[in-house]
Amino acid sequence: MRISRRDLLKGAAVAGATTALAGTASAREAVEPRPQAVGMLFDATLCVGCRACQSACKRANKLPVDLETGETGGQYDAPRDLNSSTKNVIKAVEAANGPTYMKQQCMHCVDPSCVSVCMMGALHKEGEGKKKLPGERAGSGIVVYDKNTCVGCRYCQIGCAFNVPKFEWFDAFPLIVKCELCRHRADPKQEGLLSIANPACCEVCPREAVVYGRREELLAEAKRRIAASPARYQQHVYGEKEGGGTQVLYLAPAGVSFTQLGLPELPDRSQASFSESVSHAPYLHGVTPVALYLGMAALIARNRKREEAAEHREEGK
Amino acid sequence: MNDMGSEVLGLETKGVSRRDFIKVCTTAAAAVGLPAWAGEKMAENVAKGRKPSVIWLHFQECTGCTESLLRTSHPDVGALILDLVSVDYHETLFAAAGRQIEEALEKALHENEGKFVLVVEGAIPEKDGGIYCQVGGKKAIDTLNAVAAKAGAIIAIGSCASWGGVPSAAPNPTGATGAPQILKGKTVVTLPGCPANPYNLLGTVLQYATFGTLPALDDLGRPKFAYGRVIHEDCQRRPHFDAGRFAQAFGDEGHRNGYCLYKLGCKGPQTHANCSLLDFCEVPGAWPVGIGHPCVGCTEQGVGFTVPIYTNLPVQNPTAPMAYPAIHPDHTVLGKSALAVGVGSAVVGAIVGAGVVATRKISADSEKTEGKE
Amino acid sequence: MSAHDHPKAIGGSLLDRSMLVLLALFGVAAVVMAYRFFAGVGPVSNMTDGFTWGIWEPVNVVVFTGIGAGAYSVGLLCYLLNKGQYHGLVRPAVLVGAIAYTLGGSSIMIALGRYWNSYLLPWIPWWNLSSALLEVAICVIVYVTVLWIEVLPSILDGAAASRSPRWAAIGKTWGPRLAKAMPYIIALAILLPTMHQSSLGGLMLIAGPKIHPLWHTALLPTLFLVSCLSMGFGAVVALVTILNLTWNAKHDPKLFADMSKVNAGMLLFYVVLRVADVVWSGKLRFLALDFPTLLFVAELALFLAPALMFLSPRVQRNKGRMFGAALLAVAAGAAYRVDAYLTMYRPAGWTADGKPIAAGWNYWPSLGETIVTVGMAAVGVALFIFVSRKFPVVVVEDVRDEHTHVGSGPAKAAASR
Repeated sequence: MRISRRDLLKGAAVAGATTALAGTASAREAVEPRPQAVGMLFDATLCVGCRACQSACKRANKLPVDLETGETGGQYDAPRDLNSSTKNVIKAVEAANGPTYMKQQCMHCVDPSCVSVCMMGALHKEGEGKKKLPGERAGSGIVVYDKNTCVGCRYCQIGCAFNVPKFEWFDAFPLIVKCELCRHRADPKQEGLLSIANPACCEVCPREAVVYGRREELLAEAKRRIAASPARYQQHVYGEKEGGGTQVLYLAPAGVSFTQLGLPELPDRSQASFSESVSHAPYLHGVTPVALYLGMAALIARNRKREEAAEHREEGK
Repeated sequence: MNDMGSEVLGLETKGVSRRDFIKVCTTAAAAVGLPAWAGEKMAENVAKGRKPSVIWLHFQECTGCTESLLRTSHPDVGALILDLVSVDYHETLFAAAGRQIEEALEKALHENEGKFVLVVEGAIPEKDGGIYCQVGGKKAIDTLNAVAAKAGAIIAIGSCASWGGVPSAAPNPTGATGAPQILKGKTVVTLPGCPANPYNLLGTVLQYATFGTLPALDDLGRPKFAYGRVIHEDCQRRPHFDAGRFAQAFGDEGHRNGYCLYKLGCKGPQTHANCSLLDFCEVPGAWPVGIGHPCVGCTEQGVGFTVPIYTNLPVQNPTAPMAYPAIHPDHTVLGKSALAVGVGSAVVGAIVGAGVVATRKISADSEKTEGKE
Repeated sequence: MSAHDHPKAIGGSLLDRSMLVLLALFGVAAVVMAYRFFAGVGPVSNMTDGFTWGIWEPVNVVVFTGIGAGAYSVGLLCYLLNKGQYHGLVRPAVLVGAIAYTLGGSSIMIALGRYWNSYLLPWIPWWNLSSALLEVAICVIVYVTVLWIEVLPSILDGAAASRSPRWAAIGKTWGPRLAKAMPYIIALAILLPTMHQSSLGGLMLIAGPKIHPLWHTALLPTLFLVSCLSMGFGAVVALVTILNLTWNAKHDPKLFADMSKVNAGMLLFYVVLRVADVVWSGKLRFLALDFPTLLFVAELALFLAPALMFLSPRVQRNKGRMFGAALLAVAAGAAYRVDAYLTMYRPAGWTADGKPIAAGWNYWPSLGETIVTVGMAAVGVALFIFVSRKFPVVVVEDVRDEHTHVGSGPAKAAASR
């Protein structure tokens, strides 16, 4: 018995049903910034690279030192990059007139990839997860980590365009480590922003190069600064739209691009929105798998009956 | 009124002006972290004749602490401290000797019971019942216990009295011990150092005399005003450390240029003291790092006289140097193990090779059978 | 030739030399794995925060399950398209599938940092339905179970033929019961791989900027699904050829030629999709004289070569050439998968004109990682040999029916269904 063209087409239709529907189903809606979302604004023209924020972050989050031995034998707590003992790091890029400093930490995306991919919501927007940590309140938009539902699959590391979540590679019981905007330092007795979070880095910055506040206000402030001294800045606030928007915003000096600062060029549509649209579409809210299953079960059962009938006939001969 | 202080004390005759006198009191007050008016109040108290009684006991030591106290200058702190306080018993300074001086001790104990300040200098031997240090036939440990029982405040000056110091260095043949370990349960202010900075003593004593209080202490009894931070944090050579500029050997170019002495064995990163902030005997730079020698860690138990002088220690509370990582720092793993690369390639090669060889062989066999058919 | 040849336990010595070698390889891997549980993933691997999945995910999971997709491809042909003549291939394919998926799942447990929390995965209220990996995880867990249930008929057949009356009773009662439930299990066995094999491609959708534009496309799920079928068909042909040479398994060139024509269709479909997608989404501009383009062309060639070979009568006649083509089909799928997951993955992404942004990270599997992957593959082969020797899995040529008629009736029907 040969496989006829009809058979092939039939098979292809069934097997490809899921993917063929991809184009027709509607895309997942974009996530808008939460109105009360908090974040930070980093102004690279103000940072002098004193690294007070780096040390303050380690103290505030009780992070171990990341010892580096210099060429001359001295040992320093000098993290080279974000890592499992560093949630905040100051880097430098050499520009025409001296170095420009760059502060790197979690961007607290408006529509984070890490949250989209996390299997059981260990990483989730504060107050919006299926399982809540003590003291979580919805609306801050802070991406928090719950070690109790994390299996350590590290898909968040694959998904994050900023390479922020870090893994404790040299630990038998490792955690994912990333900035949670010092949510643990929030003071519920306070009014306003400090009752939500209280980032140590913003508290210690001697030049207010990084400031904490509501995302909306920070965005307005960033735009005000650009408007006030257009020659000083890149005419763009990084994080307003990139990857669906981030809650940590960046200003770069004129002459230094955001890519030079290590911030990737991202489309306005978040990766999460793209990926979820593509992979969810064929499922049609779970209808497709159920329908496919029932259809196939019926087909297989029918095939079997026919074959059994044929066998009986054969035996009868 | 104008000459109140100096008149009462007769300091003018010693070449010390009232102005100098107030200045020392104010410096002492500032050292303890008190405001300027406290210095004046101290001076006033002293002028009124309310001088604290001090009993000074010597045990296993070199008398270096006393010596450095006496060698101060600009103005003569030694003279001042002896006039600011009423030293009722001090074996080095007393002209008297023998029974006469022991009687003075008994007298002072009796007269100022519960009020006097006991200053202990030197370690106390504990081994073999404490027989290795005896004064006037009495064992050091007994004298200390007896005097401390009646003291208003106890200060251990120098590393020997604070935690054992040089006499306790290995193998510690006499079982030398610091005063706090002997006087368990009592508050003992420790002023470790070899020798201790006289201003730290003066400040502590004057605060006690004037206000009846002791400065804030850490859990080793050290006044926080002087021992709250490690030397490294306030070191004058710190910028060289941060920039990674280290003297590599004594007398080399870096050493002559005043580079950081960490590599030569500086104990500053783990030694709690204010040497880098408060000049010794008011002589600028008169401390090891100031003269180009690494800190030996004399104040710190477990460091001074324990870790070899030219061995350096890890940094407590390290902070970053003035060098920044690049935006995309190096994290490469390739090239670390040629073996891994070899084995990995070998596995891939073996799979491909096996596939090719098997295909060829089966093809050839198959062709043969085909031919037969 | 009848469609109802009966599988037979191969028998023979269990601990021969090749088995000992395989077990030794696994033993070394087991030591590395044990060490990983005490010291963490870092000391045994070259995985970093940049290349966080190393080879364990792209090879042990994605490629192994691609090979294991033989069960899926043959199942599709045999049950859905009702091509009864493929029944003889079902048992070996299903066994390979069960083993490959089990190994993939076990590799994941070793790679997971916080593996002890994975017992929470079945807890539905915490499921994040937007996570492709969750779908893969749940599907794979269920599918492994389903696959082993599909292997059960072989075991029950073996039991029914057993000399021990108790075993025989178990085989004779449970065989027919299982046979009745089989259509519903088989439907699941086809639905699940359709879902998770496409999701394996969907996994990389989120990594958008990090995957080279020639590999990152909305068609990733489709391409993974198609390539798993081509890998599966190829794997079955290669497997049965090897079984034919070692254990004299039944090798029907006609059947293989037919199946391989289907495979050629799959491979060509993949090539058409891939090229059309690149043209359609205006990615032709990324083609240049550079490594990504070279790899892209090499991949397409790897897919095209076996497709053309399968269609050529000269190849169809020759067992060895068919075998080579089948291997190429497997290699094509494996290469595509590893490239999409690892080779074309850059932590800092790619520039607008398709050049990698130097992120300071690079990767090559460490000795430990390679050992674990090789050890896993070795224990898979060992398991296959063990089960086929002990239980009726492989259909052997030139064996008269009366020899193997032990598990006839319901159990046999279950096996072939």
